[in-house]
Amino acid sequence: MRRWILPAALGIALAILSGLFLLHATPSFLMGVAMGRLDKAGVNLFAHGPLASDKSRAIVRPSPDLAYSSCPFDLSKGPVLIDVAPAPAPYWSLSVFDRRTDVAFVRNNRDSRGGAIRIALAREGQQVPAGIEAVRLDDDRGIALVRILVESKDRFAAIDKARRASVCRPL
Amino acid sequence: MKSWARYLLCAVAGIVAGSGAAVWTVKSGGFGSQARIGPWRTGTDFGSRDAGAYTRAVVARNGLLALPAREARYYTAASDDEGRPLEGRCRYRITGGAAGGAWWSLTLYGSDNFLVPNEANIWSVGSAALAPAERKAWTILAAPNRQPGHWLPTGGVENFDLTLRVYLPEGGGASNLSLERLPRIARQSCAG
Repeated sequence: MRRWILPAALGIALAILSGLFLLHATPSFLMGVAMGRLDKAGVNLFAHGPLASDKSRAIVRPSPDLAYSSCPFDLSKGPVLIDVAPAPAPYWSLSVFDRRTDVAFVRNNRDSRGGAIRIALAREGQQVPAGIEAVRLDDDRGIALVRILVESKDRFAAIDKARRASVCRPL
Repeated sequence: MKSWARYLLCAVAGIVAGSGAAVWTVKSGGFGSQARIGPWRTGTDFGSRDAGAYTRAVVARNGLLALPAREARYYTAASDDEGRPLEGRCRYRITGGAAGGAWWSLTLYGSDNFLVPNEANIWSVGSAALAPAERKAWTILAAPNRQPGHWLPTGGVENFDLTLRVYLPEGGGASNLSLERLPRIARQSCAG
């Protein structure tokens, strides 16, 4: 029996370490999966999705009341400009998530007093032109997401037209 | 048994047990599992750098890209007021009032965390769909078959859950809604 004490201690230590590793790795892994799905529409580019339905499978628990526009970004070659056009809706917002799923930036139409939201996503040390608000990230990859409240489906066409003026592109 | 075989056996068992426990913990953790208020679960540090590894993992699996508390609060219920799991074959009367935010919506999800197929293509009911007078006291019926008034189809799925989203919550979303202000979920009948 004594011969099992050290192997058992090793097993317990590995159980704790592997559990902690998985917990810490899960957000980045799932974010990577989501970015992989969104990347198909293009990187550093807004994709304007239809209203969520039971066919929507890119992101878990989508809200069917929101029009989503997503831009998977890559800062490895330089900063990325995000310019969100005002939408004809009582609520809209821009949120930026890094690879670890942390929110790096969030602003809504009340914060911007109904005006456009213009920011530059950049790593530390990357030059951002004067006059553009810089949002610094610790990682090259992440997702910028615009949410627009669609109060009724007949409002969607006007909202869809307005949001297509939004820009996500390398600076 | 040789010494190396004992070490190998215990190492493999440890990794399998540790990984399995982590996966089970994340899978069984509901979206917003920091606080329980009746059947509702919620949390305040989604998307926050302060979130712990467990919260971060559960949110990534069950609510990736969720907004921080000051922007939106998420309350999720997988059971009725009596603590029974929500079943797609049953009819539920969900009642509530003002939810303490600029607007709210109640969305029904299957156990796979996606919207459930239903022939009416209805997946949520929000405050925007209610007349102003109705927003103070409203009723939604969740059921597999069409219902009068505000109907949330269950699609007949085995189990489902409900997420109440409260956007631009009062007080910057720092505090949870009390049980009295959260919707009540009463099971009325079940088919079969």
